[in-house]
Amino acid sequence: MLPWWFALPALLWLLVFFLLPLVNQAGVSVMSGDPEAGYELTWSLGNFTDAIREYGPQIERSFIYAGLATIVDLVIAFPVAYFIAYKAGRFKAFLLLMVVLPFFMSQVLRTVSWQLILTDNGWVVGSLRDVGVLGENDRILATSAAVVGGIAYNYLPFMVLPLYASLERLDRRLIEAATDLYASRGTAFRKVTVPLATPGIFAGSLLVFIPATGDFVNAALLGSRDQYMIGNVIQQNFLTVLDYPTAAALSFLLIGLILVGIGIYSAVLGSKNLTEVAG
Amino acid sequence: MSDDRRHEPSRAEIESAIERILWDPASAMDRRRFLGRSAGAVGAVAGVSAFLSACGIAGTAEKNVADLARVAATVDHPKVPIGNWTFSNWPLYIDKSVLREFDRTYGGHVKYVEEINDNNEFFGKVRPQLTAGRPIGRDIVVLTDPMAARWVRSGFVTPLDRKNMPNAVANLEDSLKNPPYDPGRLFTMPWQSGALGLGYDIEATGRELKSIDEFFNPEWKGKVTMLADAQDTISTVLIGEGIDPAKATLQQHLEGVEKLAKAANADQFRRFSGNDYTTDLTKGNIVLALAYSGDMVQLAADNPNLRFAYPEEGCVQWTDNMLLPAKVQHPYAAEVFMNFVYEPAVAAKIAEYVNYIPPVKGVQQLVERTDPALAANTLVFPTAEIAKGFRSYAQFSSAQRQELDKAMAKVTGG
Repeated sequence: MLPWWFALPALLWLLVFFLLPLVNQAGVSVMSGDPEAGYELTWSLGNFTDAIREYGPQIERSFIYAGLATIVDLVIAFPVAYFIAYKAGRFKAFLLLMVVLPFFMSQVLRTVSWQLILTDNGWVVGSLRDVGVLGENDRILATSAAVVGGIAYNYLPFMVLPLYASLERLDRRLIEAATDLYASRGTAFRKVTVPLATPGIFAGSLLVFIPATGDFVNAALLGSRDQYMIGNVIQQNFLTVLDYPTAAALSFLLIGLILVGIGIYSAVLGSKNLTEVAG
Repeated sequence: MSDDRRHEPSRAEIESAIERILWDPASAMDRRRFLGRSAGAVGAVAGVSAFLSACGIAGTAEKNVADLARVAATVDHPKVPIGNWTFSNWPLYIDKSVLREFDRTYGGHVKYVEEINDNNEFFGKVRPQLTAGRPIGRDIVVLTDPMAARWVRSGFVTPLDRKNMPNAVANLEDSLKNPPYDPGRLFTMPWQSGALGLGYDIEATGRELKSIDEFFNPEWKGKVTMLADAQDTISTVLIGEGIDPAKATLQQHLEGVEKLAKAANADQFRRFSGNDYTTDLTKGNIVLALAYSGDMVQLAADNPNLRFAYPEEGCVQWTDNMLLPAKVQHPYAAEVFMNFVYEPAVAAKIAEYVNYIPPVKGVQQLVERTDPALAANTLVFPTAEIAKGFRSYAQFSSAQRQELDKAMAKVTGG
């Protein structure tokens, strides 16, 4: 056993860089005032009800987009992780590097290049029109599909890596045992591989879903006003409107809603998985 | 200059509150006497709420112009050797050889930072230091009219010592000498001006566009961008209705927002943009943008189908202004630099690079010798006829501006 004070640096770090700003913003969320007179603590909980009333659609949209992006990522990442864990052989390290490689470049830059690739007169949209997937006046940019796609693209590695980790350390003799006991490969996959990969699925979904809900870069660059998410609203209120209380209240609403969501999700998948992943 | 009388007491309160929690031995002693689980909890709650109250965000009280002028009259920035100083500007907004030439001629070194991409965001970034009365570590910042006005009225500026800048006094264009927020230019000096107008792709429209009504023309439905900045877009909308934005009330501006909202709900606009409308225009996502004149000079050089038109109803002429922030550390260097860029030869060099409207007299004649095509370009050197149509922004207090921004944010953010 390590002495408890080994945790002290981490605790101090959290206290200074996590708790203090959080408490500060919690305070701001119940202030009122305007930029001229300043904002003072008035414990006005109305900020929260106003925020829900005014920005309900964006909150809802954020959860829908984040949820869709998580599902898309899961569907794409599972085969990738499976392949890397079992079939990649000596290319394993190389493929894992490929998965993380996009992180070497700023997210904004990568998203801007999608903005350029997907332009209305670009070859991507042009080809899709030619083969009839898109109508003559359809576009990709400034649609929900573009924003969900952008989010899924940007957060994909967060899904691949935990899935890979849990598939990699899965005891493969269990799969063998299943097939020995006359399970078809499909059944073995369904009854053995997937359940044992649950910690990875759980961790991956959270790692994608949580930041995706607060994302604003994709909606700002690939979307339009009809695709703006709660992150865009928060950013706008903080930086343009200088309405700090509303922005802070929205941030806390988001935190609260995500916590509730995770609570339900982990109750369904079993909270044991959380600690398993951590360990 | 920066003593914010209305808020000084609250700042003192804040400090004493923090002191009480953290350092006052007497109260610590008291607390120790009652130390126990419950007392600790009460202390923690009290501490948190004291901390929260202490986190109150200072306002930016407005000052009156006459007071400011009185302060400005006494300003004296003595001549000192120029060392290292800092100039914050927008991206791609100077020919950098001008900076090297300044260093060579006057000594010292200017740290040139291209960090201002958006007036509001930049203000959001330095606002805490400004309201706390601390220097922001920059000696010149460049802000567009409404934001410059806000800084002047809030006392976030240091008055200019005009004795150090004879060129600037002599060569400033007459039309820019007395903006409503800074008559006589005691605090600000124009960097460049430009106009807001119709930026369009004539190949896509098939005809010339001239009127602000085109932004609302269903023919271009879904192929138009407007600027996300409330005053840029709404001033233009108002000019289209025959209203001079400088004289328009907040209420009229809000009605302008409503007109915009109606069109936005009918999917007239592809999106609300910052400077990035240029990508949408060059890539053909849109056919018409509310555009900055200087951008269009550069875009047209690459693609002659891209045109800029001054709207026939008139248009907003905006100016980006150099100013010294409050508590500036190198005022003399900053003023010498302002003087330097008001030498017509230097101003001509900048104009040739940035293609915006120079605020310095005599530049057009100089450019004629080196680049006659540019000298004839009315986007850089508007004729007197065009200049007649120039309008400026309304003057709003921070609170009014917030109301407008809020209404606008509802339109731009769905």
